[in-house]
Amino acid sequence: MGGGAILRYSLHRLAILLVVVFFLFPIFWIALMSLQTNESILRIPPSMVFTPIFDNYQALITGKLITQAGSLDLPFMKNLFNSFFLSAASVAVALILGVPAAYAFARFKFRLGENIAFTLLSFRFAPPLLVLLPLSLIYQTIGLDNSYVGLIWVYQLICLPLILWVVRSYFEDISPEIEHAYRIAGHNWGQSFLRIAIPLARPGIAAAGLLAFIFAWNNFVFALILASADKQPVTVGALAFVTASGIQYGQIAAAIILSILPTLLLALYAQRYLVEGLSLGAVKG
Amino acid sequence: MRQGAAKIFGKFMPRLDTSPQTRQRPPIMQRALPYFLSLPALMVCIGILVPFFIAVSYSLMRYRLNLPHLKGFNWFANYLDFATDAAFWHTLWVSLVYAVLSVGFELLLGLGIALLLQKPTRMNNFVSIILLLPLMTAPALAALMWKLMTNPNFGILSYLVSLLGFTDFKWASDPSSALFTVLLVDIWVYTPFIMILLLAGLRALPKQPFEASALDNVPASFVFFRITLPMLMPYIITATLFRLLDSIQQFDIIYAMTQGGPGNSLVVFQVQAYLEFFQYTNVGRSAALMVILWAITYGLSHLFIKQWLRLRERASGLA
Amino acid sequence: MDYLSLNRISKSFGKEKLLDEVTLGVAQGENLVIFGPSGGGKTVLLRMIAGVETVTQGSIEVGGRDITFDPPEARGIGVALQNFALFPHMTAFDNIAAPLAARKKSQSEITDAVQKIAKLLKIAQVLHHFPKQLSNGQKQRTALARALVARPPLLLLDDPLRNVDAKLRFEMRLELPRLLREAGATVIYVTQDYREALALGDRIAILMGGKLLQIGTPRDIYEQPASIKVAQLFGDPTINIFDVTQAVRENGQDVHLTLGGGVIPLAGATAKAVRQAAHAGKKLWLGIRPEAIDFVWPGEGPGQGTGEGSGQGPGQGTNQIAHKNAVVIAAKLEAVNPLNERHVSFLTTQEGHDILCSRPADEGGDPNQLAEAAKGQVKLQFSPDKILVFGGDDGEIMAHHDDAAARDATGDATGGATRDAAMVTA
Repeated sequence: MGGGAILRYSLHRLAILLVVVFFLFPIFWIALMSLQTNESILRIPPSMVFTPIFDNYQALITGKLITQAGSLDLPFMKNLFNSFFLSAASVAVALILGVPAAYAFARFKFRLGENIAFTLLSFRFAPPLLVLLPLSLIYQTIGLDNSYVGLIWVYQLICLPLILWVVRSYFEDISPEIEHAYRIAGHNWGQSFLRIAIPLARPGIAAAGLLAFIFAWNNFVFALILASADKQPVTVGALAFVTASGIQYGQIAAAIILSILPTLLLALYAQRYLVEGLSLGAVKG
Repeated sequence: MRQGAAKIFGKFMPRLDTSPQTRQRPPIMQRALPYFLSLPALMVCIGILVPFFIAVSYSLMRYRLNLPHLKGFNWFANYLDFATDAAFWHTLWVSLVYAVLSVGFELLLGLGIALLLQKPTRMNNFVSIILLLPLMTAPALAALMWKLMTNPNFGILSYLVSLLGFTDFKWASDPSSALFTVLLVDIWVYTPFIMILLLAGLRALPKQPFEASALDNVPASFVFFRITLPMLMPYIITATLFRLLDSIQQFDIIYAMTQGGPGNSLVVFQVQAYLEFFQYTNVGRSAALMVILWAITYGLSHLFIKQWLRLRERASGLA
Repeated sequence: MDYLSLNRISKSFGKEKLLDEVTLGVAQGENLVIFGPSGGGKTVLLRMIAGVETVTQGSIEVGGRDITFDPPEARGIGVALQNFALFPHMTAFDNIAAPLAARKKSQSEITDAVQKIAKLLKIAQVLHHFPKQLSNGQKQRTALARALVARPPLLLLDDPLRNVDAKLRFEMRLELPRLLREAGATVIYVTQDYREALALGDRIAILMGGKLLQIGTPRDIYEQPASIKVAQLFGDPTINIFDVTQAVRENGQDVHLTLGGGVIPLAGATAKAVRQAAHAGKKLWLGIRPEAIDFVWPGEGPGQGTGEGSGQGPGQGTNQIAHKNAVVIAAKLEAVNPLNERHVSFLTTQEGHDILCSRPADEGGDPNQLAEAAKGQVKLQFSPDKILVFGGDDGEIMAHHDDAAARDATGDATGGATRDAAMVTA
């Protein structure tokens, strides 16, 4: 290698390093904050040398913050549960509604199917408040405001298009001949759907489900408008928490880490399918 | 000719029945199956369309939650008011600036990173996976993270810029730097999106043009501008349209960071509509704002869906 | 009463008509081969019988019952599709067992039946493998086993040998007739390979451009094709076709054709039809298969001279051995190519027609030596009842030989022999 090549190689490496630092540093730094006392956080200059403590996490998990001034209730675990419950239930509903529809759209080319698929897709890109603001008034009238059912229903706006389009492309990749062979062998339509189509599309269904879970988890505006404190997921809860706990920065950091950890782990687990899912199947990863 | 053959080959050719035929249709149950399967999805569709049309009707009304007795159609008054309302034009301006700047920077940065990681080595693959983490962080939580890092008392970024001489840099609390701060968060979250789409695109490009130009010692800049960039264009357009659609409707980051402030410096469409609804309880005006934003995104989404379908067709061709 | 009858079946996709009023009856236990070039509508027809393609018009009956709109699972038909269509997530065993499982057979019955058919098809050792672990030949046998295992009364095979290698194809071509006989089912077999068609079919249906052109025994189709199009589908090299519109000679009641200095007498119905066609100014073609042509070989012993070269009539050259009644024509030998076990000679007549002549390599002598001795000019002979005359713009057969028709009437005892001969040709 000549000098120019070495220089170019080093610059390339340096550029990658800078990129990694920019994108990972915030997560890293907040994780460090979550392990410090407030005194340690407030040091000037900031330092990475400290004795890690787990009091912040302990306070969040037990739901009780003990200070000199007395004890404070932290509803954060309830938010965490809400996030899990809302995301999981929304994905489950979206799978039950979306997988048969995705199959129908992939196998039978029919007008109504295309219309449904494109309506859902175009509302995926419509401003959520357009639907949410009137929905909040409707929900108040019909008593669905601040209910899990009502939230799960609107979460379909996030989960259903994703599942519909990603799973559809997986169904389209399965040769219809294989299902034909199964029908000819003497199985009815339902058996062929359950024992051939679904097992063969399983990777796509799993990937779409995981991604839908992540997007549901990360959603903020739906619950901000439609849920009160006891039904709020972590995204909304953490914001309220900042206002409520004021200067308990260590606990805020810990709450953020607990809130983002599930999706980050899921993303790493499902990274193989992320490209396809994020582009709704337009780009094969 | 057929008849002649039939005469000669009477015993070989099938009996010819030439009466006219009508088209037959399979039983109703078989034809109904696809509709039956998509029924639940159809219900969700209707569930979306009903509030949508209600929103459109609100936008044509004088409707304030605190003055319910005044509720009634005033038709296009809400829209006409916007024409002379500086606040509306400010909202439009801020939204556009936010969308264009965020997507512009993300595109440049995302393309740069994709090029850095183009070779599918183990390290590059690892880095590209690691870079997904910001994208998988909830934007509202990402805003809180950056809020902690830009805190004037202990924020690490405040400390770092003070070392550069900006001892009183106020980040999101100052109107002059608020846009810059939220843009930083947007870039942190969404650049990886553009990066992975372009990286997938780069790696799917055919190899021959590059091998040929390497043999001919074509300069790298020529290869990039005349070969790489044009071939990558469908991916760039798809990613850009997708991000523009999201970005012009940005709510989470801005709301979590500044609630539209300081002052009204960051009142983009959705934030403004939210404030109109919940603070000023002006449902009609809020709905009109959303219908305008919807019209903008509908045009963009039309372009995007067309582009996306084209790319999707190509992707399934590759698979 | 036909076991399977297709009644004016049509299939359109939009404006495109894939099948045009196909009517066809298949007797119980019969092996019917549907043969034709790709895109002719064979696979679509088979898929309609199987129930996985809708019927645009017409009806399908099996055993007297209309099944046109029955779903595939209600038809009880065994089908082996061209690309195997094995279930990728099931073992070969489970693939084969699928039809039995659907019929709610007991586990022991299923195991017995699968083992038995697997043994017969020589795949018993790979039953626990998944399709992607199987070779193409094993996949093909698995697909076949799946079609056969439930002993369906009707079996549809869509070009099952298409995607296997040449060696296996050859083996299976020998093995399949026995298997199908053992299965005892009514079989519809789709192929684009004329050798398979001749080897496997009790009857062959020719499907081209969505239309049924001819149905008949292999022998009928080979010897009395309905048109030039059909004639050209069989044989390698394909049939010689000469334009003889200008070569019709009439002499009182006799009608004959001239070719290469030879005279081909026409008889009976053919003569009558040709005379009419010639008077009507229709185009006429003469067809003769390359294997029906032989050289006029010198008699035993070396040093035989060349003939006088008149080649008139059924004349036997003094020293040459031509068959009784054979037509002898003169031609110039251009090239000889070995093709499998045969020699294919390429010749031209004095009119400039190209003739191909295909002879077993170990029979007769070397055409090159023959030609050398005769300065390139050789004599060819063929029996006048081996010729086919086609007329009209579509090249329909004018008539077929009365004696051949008589043979048909007595049955197909010799059909097998023709079939075998044609098979070796390739």
